[in-house]
Amino acid sequence: MMEHILSLITFSPLLGVLLLLFVPRDKAGSIKLIGVLVTLIPLVLAFTMFAGFDSAQEGFQFVEDASWINIPLAEGVTVQFNYTLGVDGLSMPLVVLATIVALMSAIAAVNMIQKRWKEYFILFFLMQVGLFGVFTAQNLFLFFIFFEISLVTMFFLIGVWGLDKREDAAFTFLLYNGLGSAIMLISFIALLVNAGLVEGPAGIIYTTDMQTLTYNLTNPASPLFQAGQYSDVFLYGVFFALLVAFGIKLPLFPFHSWILKVHYQAPPPMSMILSGVLLKIGAYGLMRMEVGFFPSIAMEFSTMLLVLGIVNLLYGGILAFVQEDLKMVVVYSSISHMGIILMGIGAMNRLGFQGAIFQMVSHGFLSAIFFFIVGVVYTRVHTVKFEELGGMAKVMPFTSGILLTAGMASLGLPGMSGFISEFLSFLGVFENHPILAAVASIGIVLTSAYLLRAILSVTYGPTKEILVGMPDARLTEVIPMVVLLGFIILIGVYPAILSDPLQTTLQSFLIRIGG
Amino acid sequence: MLANAWLIPLFPLISFVLLVAFGRQLKEGAAYVGILSLLASFVVAVGVFFERFAEGAHDYITSFDWLNIGDFVFTMGFEVNQLNAMMLIVVTLVSLMVHLYSKGYMHGDERFPVFYSYLSLFTFSMLMLVISPNLLQAYIFWELVGASSFLLIGFYFFKPSARAAAKKAFLTTRVGDLGIFIGISLLFWQTGTFEYAAIFEAAHSGVLSPEFITLTSILIFIGAVGKSGQFPLHIWLPDAMEGPTPVSALIHAATMVAAGVYLVARLFPLFEASATAMLTVAIIGGVTAIFAASIGLVQNDIKRVLAYSTVSQLGYMMMALGSAGYVAGVFHLFTHAFFKALLFLAAGSVIHSVGTQDIKEMGGVGKHMPITKIVFLIGALAIAGVPGLAGFFSKEEILIATYDSGNVVLFWLALTAAVMTAFYMFRLYFLTFSGTPRHENHHVHESPIFMTLPMIILAVLAIFSGYVVYAGFGEWLAHGVISGEEGEGHHTWIMVLSIAAAFGGIGLAYLLYGRNNKVSTAEPKGLHKLLFNKYYVDEFYGTTVIKPYTLFGYVLKFFDKYVIGGLVQFTAWIAVAIGRLGQRLQNGQVQAYSLVTILGLVILLLSMTAGRLW
Repeated sequence: MMEHILSLITFSPLLGVLLLLFVPRDKAGSIKLIGVLVTLIPLVLAFTMFAGFDSAQEGFQFVEDASWINIPLAEGVTVQFNYTLGVDGLSMPLVVLATIVALMSAIAAVNMIQKRWKEYFILFFLMQVGLFGVFTAQNLFLFFIFFEISLVTMFFLIGVWGLDKREDAAFTFLLYNGLGSAIMLISFIALLVNAGLVEGPAGIIYTTDMQTLTYNLTNPASPLFQAGQYSDVFLYGVFFALLVAFGIKLPLFPFHSWILKVHYQAPPPMSMILSGVLLKIGAYGLMRMEVGFFPSIAMEFSTMLLVLGIVNLLYGGILAFVQEDLKMVVVYSSISHMGIILMGIGAMNRLGFQGAIFQMVSHGFLSAIFFFIVGVVYTRVHTVKFEELGGMAKVMPFTSGILLTAGMASLGLPGMSGFISEFLSFLGVFENHPILAAVASIGIVLTSAYLLRAILSVTYGPTKEILVGMPDARLTEVIPMVVLLGFIILIGVYPAILSDPLQTTLQSFLIRIGG
Repeated sequence: MLANAWLIPLFPLISFVLLVAFGRQLKEGAAYVGILSLLASFVVAVGVFFERFAEGAHDYITSFDWLNIGDFVFTMGFEVNQLNAMMLIVVTLVSLMVHLYSKGYMHGDERFPVFYSYLSLFTFSMLMLVISPNLLQAYIFWELVGASSFLLIGFYFFKPSARAAAKKAFLTTRVGDLGIFIGISLLFWQTGTFEYAAIFEAAHSGVLSPEFITLTSILIFIGAVGKSGQFPLHIWLPDAMEGPTPVSALIHAATMVAAGVYLVARLFPLFEASATAMLTVAIIGGVTAIFAASIGLVQNDIKRVLAYSTVSQLGYMMMALGSAGYVAGVFHLFTHAFFKALLFLAAGSVIHSVGTQDIKEMGGVGKHMPITKIVFLIGALAIAGVPGLAGFFSKEEILIATYDSGNVVLFWLALTAAVMTAFYMFRLYFLTFSGTPRHENHHVHESPIFMTLPMIILAVLAIFSGYVVYAGFGEWLAHGVISGEEGEGHHTWIMVLSIAAAFGGIGLAYLLYGRNNKVSTAEPKGLHKLLFNKYYVDEFYGTTVIKPYTLFGYVLKFFDKYVIGGLVQFTAWIAVAIGRLGQRLQNGQVQAYSLVTILGLVILLLSMTAGRLW
């Protein structure tokens, strides 16, 4: 089983689609049960993979490679797209994260999705294939397909199950992300054409295999590298094109506008996925392709990446301070926290990279729990506006306590995951850019300011009329909160669980940037 | 025994976990969980202290790898040295007293178990901070201490004032914490470690440049300024009195606020290596001492007077450390913890009984609360520096230290602050306890045994804790920490001046408030008004920091919505226009996706044909 574990993880949600085909659409209970139980399968598989992951082994693990599409262009010249999956220390934690957040999202949907459950869960299962596939794909073509699957399914999930202006939001989502994927596609093709060449016994092969590309682009021993035939236009062009493509996803200022509208309209379980996992594709892409394919250019522009990260951090932080409702604070907070990832990458050293990866996982859990709680409040009082809320701790002490604890984690309180990621990212930046790091540290205070303002206006103070008599979290709501917070605390107290499997992979990145 | 010191923070942690899990079931029985765990911690702390205090004992340090990132190893562990062996006693003892006291004070509160769980969390964090063998671990628990302080200040969360105070405390100290964060990060890249010993080694062996030492010391000191309520980050501490009074005694008088002083003391070898840093510490401490004492002269809220007194006394300690009076500063931290906790608990006893914090509405309370009256008087005499009580010993040492440092201005500042301290304490005493009631207070009664017993114990300590000097406490503290000679000289005239300051202040208070026992109800004017309004520091921050920041936020919001958002609209419009061009026949949202797909395909074909390799 272990040799096909990645395929099993990626495609196991299809089992859910199959099962749902036999369930009548009005059997809401059964549909929800299938929705949750089948989502549990990839999670269990992902933990098996985590347990079987060899931290000391270099390169990719659980690799599956099968011949898939071969297009003969001319005699002895073939374009080859293989079905290749594999994980290393960078993608493995993200797969685990994605399966956990997916399950929590499925549980959230039980209460927060009010209609057309069958279609919802079918699309949701299809989307999971995209989510898991993106992180396991080792071929750019395959990566692109999974990426598009997540995009299209998300489009429908927002467009049908969102709030009043859902269609507008879905359109915005697609327009922006479609633009991003178009740019990504061009970049991939450029990579295929310029750097995907392998000479084998059967003649010349063009491939989008990620390891081949990495080898060709970064290894001085590779024939293409030696021939010095990469033009600057190609190298810099693709570097910046991918920066925009993944920057949109991240989202990077000034490409962040789509996320405001989309989150506001998306149903909470989808916001959890969107912020918890989909945004991480942007971060993953930056790390895997920007740093992975173009280490020397990334090094050359590291200060720029750093400054972009700081701009994101401060811009999101200041705007989060003047929002009038909890949801928008969480959204701007996401933008701000993505800045820390970029900062960590921009540090171009071990601690910075480590911090960035910690932040991907940490923010995945944190944004999921925040959007979930926003959903819990919204389903009760149909508003998350500060002026209408207040004193929630009196009527819903459990939910309020979790919200406050998550807030503390998000502002970097030690003992929880946010601290580790923030601390390592900043410490990494301090090595070569102490002044920039000191400027960025202001973001730590800004984060505390907006989070406390937001959370205290909802939970502290006199209890507002609208909240009186509201029940605290029920079991299906308690589980996601406790599970997500559990992981947040686990990473905070015992960070080695996440950092140990990463070291070998980090080492390979560091060798490429010459560190 | 020293190797078992890790048990000391463990008990409160267990208590915290138990109370979070079973608090609802335990109800007020939660108090016993807290009290017993603290009692256990205290017993171990006493054992540890005496073993370290014994002849020929050495420091104990141990740690394990917590996080390995490549060659970087971050460790956790614990250590026992003179300074923290003393601190462990102070923290566990005061915390134990407060745990006992709270059983009476918080009786009937529906969130009683929550209160005790927060107390446990705080005590755990504080003990971990004290026991840390490296700066990273200290920083981690430094932050956790701040968070538990935040929770306790905001314990009455439904009160808007408590909400504001909790937020203010967290944010203000967070500003200071930035200093520590930047400071230790810089130190890490220069020394490759967070371990205290290795950093001191680097500072004294010339690895670190003098400018670098000055820079990092001052950065770390900014954190201490925040935590210990020093000027100009003192603004949160008086507001923190919104928390329940036992909390004020434990956190905002005896332990957490002393953490800043503790940190400077722990890093004394680093600070000592920079004359500029030392002078900065001394000046900030001196300014704070007199600044806060002067505000305390005119406040009418019993807890706020004590809060300003705390700020002022912490300034005293900083001033001593900055004047190279290591022992004097640490010793004052030790004695102050007892008498200030006592004063707060006694004030809490009064508030509990009278139902107000405004001394204008008190008077004659002593008649009905004899025990509270006597212990408060003991506390007041101790802090005023009357001979024979604890405060006298430590205060005199501070005066000597400032004098010996050669900074005459600091010495006179310290002496003036001493007069003020004696004055405001006895103003408080006379207005609260003596005379006749100025207000109808029907239910004034002495507090229950759970409250009076801890006060009595602390009162005993407020008298006798100063006498440890005769057991060689000072020399023991200094051993191995301070390289040079510390103020050994006995200046009789300083002692005389210090006694004169104490009695002068008390006498003045008696003349003004002891004889006629009246508070002026007239509107404050001139200097009085300036003091009454706390030099308008809050207002200053309001107009120079908070308002501009908020305004900037709104400007940015406008920018985000109309400029960035406008660009998006424009892009969208162009895309839609192209879409219409290409797909006139279709309507509906799905068109958007087809549009992108087609666009992609076109681009794909274009780049394929444009590819230069075929």
